[in-house]
Amino acid sequence: MSDLAIGIWSFPALLVLIFLRVPIGLAMFVAGLVGLMLVGGGPLVPFARLKSETFTTFSSYSLSIVPMFLLMGHFATLGGMSQALFKAAQSWIGHRKGGVAMAAVGACAGFGSICGSSLATAATMSRVALPELRAYGYAGGFATATLAAGGTLGILIPPSVVLVIYAILTEQNIAKLFLAAFIPGLMAALGYVLVISLYVRLYPKSAGTRPRVPYGERLKALFAVWPVLMVFITVVGGIYGGIFTPTEGAAVGAFGTGLIAWVNGGLNRSSLAESFFVTARSTAMIFFIVLGAAFYNGFLALTQVPQEIAAWVGALGVSPWLVLILILVFYLILGCLMDSLSMILLTIPIFWPVIQGLDFAMVTMADLHAARAAEALAKGLSLAPDMLDSIQATLAQGAELTREQIRALGLRGVNEGALTRINIEQTAIWFGILVLIVVEVGLITPPVGMNLFIINTMDRKTPIIETYKAVMFFVASDLIRVVILVAFPAITLFLIAW
Amino acid sequence: MMHRFFLKLSQVFAYLGGLMLTLLVVMTCVSVVGRKLNDLLHDMVADGNMAGLAQALLDANIGAINGDFELIEAGIAFSIFAFLPLCQITNGHASVDIFTSKLSARTNRVLRAVIEVVFAMVLVLIAVQLSSGMFSKLRSGQTTFLLQFPVWWAYALSLTGAVTAAIVAIYMALIRIMESLTGATILRDEMGAEH
Repeated sequence: MSDLAIGIWSFPALLVLIFLRVPIGLAMFVAGLVGLMLVGGGPLVPFARLKSETFTTFSSYSLSIVPMFLLMGHFATLGGMSQALFKAAQSWIGHRKGGVAMAAVGACAGFGSICGSSLATAATMSRVALPELRAYGYAGGFATATLAAGGTLGILIPPSVVLVIYAILTEQNIAKLFLAAFIPGLMAALGYVLVISLYVRLYPKSAGTRPRVPYGERLKALFAVWPVLMVFITVVGGIYGGIFTPTEGAAVGAFGTGLIAWVNGGLNRSSLAESFFVTARSTAMIFFIVLGAAFYNGFLALTQVPQEIAAWVGALGVSPWLVLILILVFYLILGCLMDSLSMILLTIPIFWPVIQGLDFAMVTMADLHAARAAEALAKGLSLAPDMLDSIQATLAQGAELTREQIRALGLRGVNEGALTRINIEQTAIWFGILVLIVVEVGLITPPVGMNLFIINTMDRKTPIIETYKAVMFFVASDLIRVVILVAFPAITLFLIAW
Repeated sequence: MMHRFFLKLSQVFAYLGGLMLTLLVVMTCVSVVGRKLNDLLHDMVADGNMAGLAQALLDANIGAINGDFELIEAGIAFSIFAFLPLCQITNGHASVDIFTSKLSARTNRVLRAVIEVVFAMVLVLIAVQLSSGMFSKLRSGQTTFLLQFPVWWAYALSLTGAVTAAIVAIYMALIRIMESLTGATILRDEMGAEH
């Protein structure tokens, strides 16, 4: 068998292992190990790699952000911030039709801004919001579905552990990805609120009413969420503003939420140990998958499979949009079976080269010229009046600048190479956000969405079938959002400078 | 009894890993604050704004912690290796179980025993190769770039977690083998890890 054939056969082998309930990290590790033995002609090569590869995978500065964000999310729970957020949201909109459910979504979005994980957000907010929803007469399945969907905001709204992993796999800037996730995350929250208002009109019996809260109390409740706002602005703002690296941002966030938890009396000896244990389990799970994926992808790269697949797709000559849609549909289906992180680690090394090789015409040379010329002119460059006129005329036509014009503007690095780099980065960010959303849809898609299970274990009285029925409305809103974001890349990308 | 011992052992390591993580968090924050203060003091010296005091503070080495990057890399590796045993003993690894739920209880028990045995073998392999990696770093005398501490120290620290993980994995494999032989459930599953 050729190396390429071994690489291709490893896919079905890996899938069989995973479907036999072999832990995903272990399955990838074993597939990579066996694959390397077959390609390298014996155990010497893969065993030699193991001498340093586990250590270097685990001692990664950029990946150290993951346990820090996990710890931060747990401290945020201990600090009572989930209650404060829910109380504030409830006091402002709780009296409306479906208002308590909307408040739960709002609180999930708020909690998502300091917690990077979807299941943790769903679990934390359920603990706070489920009893209230039931107390105000919200139907069981409607309440659980709202929280399952709201939980996905934990990962959409930055910071997000899955985006960190995606950024590392595709070698993209974490700060830019966080920024790009912001508007789609808010759209998601808004979409869920719309779903709730539609649902309570379709099924008026599914929600009770809650008395209005006086404005004085509302302001007080709003004021109580300032620590959340401060942590979010420090962490995400600091990372984006270049004040510190993403890892430093995560450390500052963990420190800040830890401090708040301690001041609020939520952090003591036993809850600290509990935070460590929860962080330990999640971190070990994630890093074992990262290790397995590193090993498996090392093997795949050796067999040239990713390049061959990318070349093959490129040679098919089909529309890039069709390829993108097929990949997203694939994620939607796989997302019903597998957790988001495993899926990203398993598939991005194969799909990203494919997407990278396609041209979505994000930025044209004329766009690049116009942007750089505008920057140069804004800096107060003085030009001969006729040259200035001719440049403005060219830009007004939306055409590319001529050589003389470029020279007059003193532009550097405005060439094909720069354009390609910009386009790849834009595509990577856009694709990353799309993938993030579709894998999250999998978390709330019946019958196996993980958020549904988590919440079901917290509300035993509601049959899971009721949750399934109600959650389909939220899944529909997710799908509509994906279509909008695919059709208009600018929604995701317009905050991203290039 | 036995189980309590291994669970406690795993928890102790998870706790140590958590302490290391907390230490790194605090150190990183101190380093960030130090770096910002350093920038500020340099500006003050340049602007002649309380230049004497600013210079004195600069001379007292206020600034980013030297080699913070290297300390994070060494420390975080220990944390993660130390986290592995708890994940192992509480079944925290992510897997897909919708297909196997259709199989009989007996088949599932055997399948699970096989998986745990393979897992134990892999973790033993990782620990053995890590120790061999450690010895080769010890022989080569390689040190880190800034702090100049021997790289093998970081390997040795991580090895403690890796060895514990391997031991716990062997214990879990034995439990699952016993379960598949006797047909009785010894350890119940716990809820999936939050992530």
